[in-house]
Amino acid sequence: MKFDNIIIGGGLSGLTCGIKLAEQGKKCAIVSSGQSAIHFFSGSFDLLGKLNGQEVKNPLEAIKTLPDAHPYQRVGIKNIARLAVEAPQLLDRAGLQFSGKSDQNHFVLTPMGIMKPTWLTIDDFTRFEQNDVFPWKKAVILNFSGFLDFHTLFVQDGLKKYDVDVQIKNFAMKEFEAIRRNPSEMRSTNIAKVFDQGEDVLNEFAQKVNQLSEGFEVVILPAVFGLFTKNVVTDLKSMINKPLVLIPAIPPSVPGIRSQILLRKRFEELGGTYFLGDIVEEGTFKNNRLVAVQTNNHGNIKLEADQFVLASGSFYSKGIVATRDKLYEPILGLDIDGDIDSEKWLDEKFFNDQPYMHYGVKTDSGFRALKNGKPIENLFAAGSVLGGANALKEGSGAGISLLTSLHVAEQILK
Amino acid sequence: MNKNISKEYDVIIIGGGVTGAGTARDCAMRGLSVLLVERHDFATGATGRNHGLLHSGARYAVTDHESAAECIKENMILRRIANHCVEENDGLFITLPEDDIAFQSQFVDACKTAGIGTEILDPDFARRIEPSVNPDLIGAVKVPDGSVDPFRLTMSNALDARIHGAVLLTQHEVKGIVKEQDRAIGVELFNHETKQNVNYYGKIIVNAGGIWGHHIAKLAGVNINMFPAKGSLLIFGHRVNKMVINRCRKPSNADILVPGDTICLIGTTSERIPYDQIDNMFVSRQDVDVLIREGVKLSPTLATTRILRAYAGVRPLVAADNDPSGRSISRGIVLLDHQERDGLSGFITITGGKLMTYRLMAEEATDLICKKLAVDKQCETAEKSLPGAEKSEHPLSIATEKVYTGANISQKSAKDRHGTLAKNILNGDDYEDSLVCECEGVSIAEVKYAINELHVNNLIDLRRRTRVGMGTCQGELCACRAAGLLCESFEKPGKAKDDLANFLQERWKGMLPITWGEGINEIQFTSWIYEGIYGLKPDNN
Amino acid sequence: MKKEIFEPFNSSDNNFEQCVKCTICTVYCPVLEVNPDYPGPKQSGPDGERLRLKDPNFFDESLKLCLNCKRCEVACPHGVKIGDIIQLARIKYSKKKPKVRDMILANTDIVGTMASTFAPIVNPIVALKPVRLIMDGVLKIDHHRIFPKYAGMRFETWYRRYAASKQNDFKKHVSYFHGCYVNYNFPKQGKDLIKIMNAAGYGVHLLEKEKCCGVALISNNLIKQATKQARHNVEAFKKSIVDKNMPVISTSSTCIFTIRDEYPHLLGVKNDEIRDKSELATRFLFRLIDSGKLKLVFKKDYRKRIAYHTPCHMEKLGWSIYSTALLKMIPGIDFVSLESRCCGIAGTYGFKKENYKTSQGVGKPLFDQIESSDVDFVATDCETCKWQIEMSTAKKVEHPISILAEALDVEATVKLWQK
Repeated sequence: MKFDNIIIGGGLSGLTCGIKLAEQGKKCAIVSSGQSAIHFFSGSFDLLGKLNGQEVKNPLEAIKTLPDAHPYQRVGIKNIARLAVEAPQLLDRAGLQFSGKSDQNHFVLTPMGIMKPTWLTIDDFTRFEQNDVFPWKKAVILNFSGFLDFHTLFVQDGLKKYDVDVQIKNFAMKEFEAIRRNPSEMRSTNIAKVFDQGEDVLNEFAQKVNQLSEGFEVVILPAVFGLFTKNVVTDLKSMINKPLVLIPAIPPSVPGIRSQILLRKRFEELGGTYFLGDIVEEGTFKNNRLVAVQTNNHGNIKLEADQFVLASGSFYSKGIVATRDKLYEPILGLDIDGDIDSEKWLDEKFFNDQPYMHYGVKTDSGFRALKNGKPIENLFAAGSVLGGANALKEGSGAGISLLTSLHVAEQILK
Repeated sequence: MNKNISKEYDVIIIGGGVTGAGTARDCAMRGLSVLLVERHDFATGATGRNHGLLHSGARYAVTDHESAAECIKENMILRRIANHCVEENDGLFITLPEDDIAFQSQFVDACKTAGIGTEILDPDFARRIEPSVNPDLIGAVKVPDGSVDPFRLTMSNALDARIHGAVLLTQHEVKGIVKEQDRAIGVELFNHETKQNVNYYGKIIVNAGGIWGHHIAKLAGVNINMFPAKGSLLIFGHRVNKMVINRCRKPSNADILVPGDTICLIGTTSERIPYDQIDNMFVSRQDVDVLIREGVKLSPTLATTRILRAYAGVRPLVAADNDPSGRSISRGIVLLDHQERDGLSGFITITGGKLMTYRLMAEEATDLICKKLAVDKQCETAEKSLPGAEKSEHPLSIATEKVYTGANISQKSAKDRHGTLAKNILNGDDYEDSLVCECEGVSIAEVKYAINELHVNNLIDLRRRTRVGMGTCQGELCACRAAGLLCESFEKPGKAKDDLANFLQERWKGMLPITWGEGINEIQFTSWIYEGIYGLKPDNN
Repeated sequence: MKKEIFEPFNSSDNNFEQCVKCTICTVYCPVLEVNPDYPGPKQSGPDGERLRLKDPNFFDESLKLCLNCKRCEVACPHGVKIGDIIQLARIKYSKKKPKVRDMILANTDIVGTMASTFAPIVNPIVALKPVRLIMDGVLKIDHHRIFPKYAGMRFETWYRRYAASKQNDFKKHVSYFHGCYVNYNFPKQGKDLIKIMNAAGYGVHLLEKEKCCGVALISNNLIKQATKQARHNVEAFKKSIVDKNMPVISTSSTCIFTIRDEYPHLLGVKNDEIRDKSELATRFLFRLIDSGKLKLVFKKDYRKRIAYHTPCHMEKLGWSIYSTALLKMIPGIDFVSLESRCCGIAGTYGFKKENYKTSQGVGKPLFDQIESSDVDFVATDCETCKWQIEMSTAKKVEHPISILAEALDVEATVKLWQK
């Protein structure tokens, strides 16, 4: 089966790269071994939130001080500034409205009630321009009875330092009784499915919210709206007679899954082929080029392409695998950027900068993946499979995914 | 809990391990007024850091007849009085081609002498009744081993002590022993919750601090030489074996595989460590390698079974000679009357022994206490069931026949964990049947019960009472749910968030030596959730 | 340049331990969405398995609510075979005996043999309302269900009488596993396949006595019989694939999925020797076309608007691309993509009275899409999906092979390779 480009990995980087290529008329395929880490999306994309433990105000400026090995440095500061404008536009064309600036972080409210700096926030959520001001004085937090994945007391506690008078109210609706009675399934996605089913539930819910929030300036709710149906959040906001602040719940994340669905849909509408639940088993290399990959589902019908992108993610997504004493890249056997000595992988303090988080696939300066020390001419790596940064500590994961994949797409289109 | 401080207790017991809890129970049942103090939580020391093996005594039959005989006697008692803490799994002593089969007959004879029932099995038959056993075995002997949950056992003893009037103080660390001339009359305590010092007074002070008893004795001005030997163990992700599997040879490293609740565990290594390291237990990579290498000989599937955690405990042995392995020392009970030994009255030490003989240790200590206080009451702990183990008039029926019982998993799990006391959990409120911990089937109701009734101060305590966070995900999904519930009860959200961070650190400590494969995938995910999405910090949240 | 393989060191062999509790499977379970009595794939699968290993009493009969659609497995980022874990648990722990009704539904070939023999009598009878009500009341087969009609002449009989003799005229040969549906209910699909394969230059042969693949037996927990039939089929496949070097193709996605992927996992019947050479006809044709060995010529006047429905087992196999690629080759086809959703029937599942509501609830999002798609008909590779869609929407359903056969210019195609 012949394509122009094949992308291994169907998460944020794979889809961004695939959409950009497909928008330029390339015939692309994405092979995804299962649903991606977009399912754990908090609602915001970070570019650079923290540097040396300090909060970053202007990510574009701060990026300049990152070490040379950092993926951002390899993309290049100029390119970053440009691509950071392009990224939200690409998302917008997929039906995902994000807002934010790359030269000034804004803040979002986390489930712990903490203001966290970030770059782009999906329009479900509320952007706060400052982390020392909460714009309202009287807030009500509403939760669904029996929903354990939203911690109202933590949010309330976090808001205390803004001198906000916060009340917590739980409520029940008969539409949620069925899932609530199932001991394990009162999950955010299952609540969202109930709202997906129709206007009536949403109407009734909105009335209830208006009733319960009388006398308050703002309503705080868990982000459980609009899983398969796009406009539930907008509809809800229009029905509630005061500002609505949504807060992420325990993953899987409702806005995350909606984002995944819309990105995939956009890719497919552009003519892309998305192979879900398939695994690339090995590659055929010729003269330092990858010519084809063999997958579990398609067996001897190999997938061929001119260029390949490896966007297979970090350890969680099995882009990188650790055995007892070796790190390896499991799909194509590429070189690894990480400590050989397994004693050095982990730090004994859970919250310290964990060395393993920095590991990834080795590439040259143009993101060509290395195999046995030599770059493969037509194989690029993008996203969290890249090494050189602890994206969690920096708050740079989504930025690296979006920008390296756009950059790689540009290399391919050159 | 803040009882009248000027009150003088008959007995103050230092240490919330199984020995301390058992002694508290025995004393309280004999009508004494009892205060138990523990610096952390119940079963945080050696009690909670062993195999959880209900020894038949067979392991000691050849080398230590006295221990073997004690074990089998206590084994039978525990099956009676603590059936909700015990799984009657039976055990196999297997001979591998590299072992001397001649040892088998010596072993069987020694068991017979100690009163331990044995049955020599044909290897084929052994493979059939225990499919996970190393198929290369050339001999097998069945013995009445089993599994015992040390957390539940300790808590049941503590609960029964409380029922009989004892006062239990966790998070209270002994900082000094109050003395009046040659007599110990009380304890100086530091309350870790309130950060305040407080004194309590008692007629007899019992040092049941396990390995930490060395330090406590020092506080009282007497000297006991403890022999700290570290033993490391590995917990596997699920139950591989149905029966306990031992090697039929002289006791050695990593030769016991015990199934317990949802998991199984292999141990132990044995290594002498300096006394100043007893609060600093870690499992080295080398320990892990030895445990896997030897474990695979008992059950080859361990080579391809996910490891959840590694942990180490310190054996509280009283030094007797300079044996470098610490194994030939008798696990015999050491009861020291410091009045006789050191001229310090009102102070006794109960140590040595092992999980299996905790009740006997408690009985001997209590006998001595009663003698000193001139109380004439017989020990009843061997006859009376622990709370949760009583024969119930209305046995809890778990409906499995209906298409979906809704709460099947949490109800059955609760019953497995709390015995008849599960009636306090199964209250029919379906809101409370919702699962907090999906791996181990812990419901809201069970968490609430534990918080209200079982001396839970934080998430880590809650884990010991309910198995929250002990499953495959090690707290990834359930920790914040449980933290939310704790927060509802204690109404200290800031503390609850820090507590959540502590819990994750505590879980991480046990995962650190074995984090590769799925483990590293999972911990990265956990970090993303708590640090990335939640923005949780290690402290000051 | 083969990738380096490292010695595994305590890497888990227990598939359920690869679950990292991400909970994504629960999002894509079609049953959970409409029937909260089902504990969901995570709880029934990896979580439950661990508890069942502790104590088999943790088995919950509600696991039978699982459709075995495998959508959880497709979604799982860590390759946990959630569906297999659930099916195996049912096989291992269920204490419920299959009902008479289940045996009737499961034995598609025995019932088929009898029914097609008496098709003129059986068809009108099972279509009668009173009969359906009796089936509903006594057998608990939902009265909304219409049984697929039985054909008067079985496909095998037709083949022997009218097609067999011509097949040796070809240079290249394949065997055809037609399955129960083609044999008893819808021989036309088999005839269409022969038309295409012959046009492509392949002679089509039947296996030595194929038996029902057993999928319905497995889902109704008649494991002994399913295993027997699986062993028989693997032997029959071997005779074709190994002895005669003839690949086996099929037109039923469910049959081929069961034979390739359920035999070893669920029944412990090894199929290594035959697996790679057993596939769907559309995949076989695609491979020939993709590698330049075959070209199909289509009629110029064929004009249809068609939507393709991806059956769950095709989603799992990842093979719908072959069927859709072939359909898209037909110049006159206006192709509509449907979002891949389960139709809810899951073989015999939806026929059971207790499952009717769940079944239709699961299928609703698909039916809505189909109704609003304004297509001439729906294409799909699965016979039970076909029944379900035809019962639940106003649209007719065709197999891609039948569509190809209809649109194919046989003469022009034959000419290309005869030259």
